[in-house]
Amino acid sequence: MFVTLLNDANGQLRRLLAACLQLARAFREWYLRPSTREQRGLKLLREWLSQKQLAQYDAHRYFEVIGCHTGKRYRIYIYIYIYIYHGNGANVIELDDAAPPRTGWCFVPGDHLVAGNVMLAQKIALETDERGALASANNFTPR
Amino acid sequence: MATQIIMDLNGDTRHNFDAKDAKALLEAERRFKALSGAGFTAATRTASGEPVVTRTFDPTVEETLFFPRLVGG
Repeated sequence: MFVTLLNDANGQLRRLLAACLQLARAFREWYLRPSTREQRGLKLLREWLSQKQLAQYDAHRYFEVIGCHTGKRYRIYIYIYIYIYHGNGANVIELDDAAPPRTGWCFVPGDHLVAGNVMLAQKIALETDERGALASANNFTPR
Repeated sequence: MATQIIMDLNGDTRHNFDAKDAKALLEAERRFKALSGAGFTAATRTASGEPVVTRTFDPTVEETLFFPRLVGG
């Protein structure tokens, strides 16, 4: 009798936990959904990326650009991820084929913009005025 | 129909205008100068899709994108 009651309680507890987990997942998806303005920013970014950059972005959530003055490669990570883990604007990494990345660059538009806009401005700046962009940037050592 | 796209808090704001309409063209040129004067960078794309920064208003360009001045983060 006691064992049966215990089994029933255990089953009910499991179902309750599963329902809570499902609710938590639904809340997380709702909370992390991109807002309309963020979606617009990402749409604009996608329109301006080259085919190769778009493929990289879809696969890895980053894309690479070539600096117009030095020919160096830079990787631009999705801005929101870097914001959470590394701080404001620290989402551009200078790549070196011979070694792990040693330099990161922080530069963002002066106005507060959505992630897609920030990444697009960084791309255009590096591809059209690399020295100017880096002159305004702060650098950091990637972790 | 030509478009000027301005990055802002809403994602972007788009101004469409008919390049054959003299009044609309004048307004687009005024907007270009006002934004450039406020520190925005104007970029267009080549036929192959590469971005190009432009300092002067070109009435033949289909799409111009403006983004605010970059600063150290």
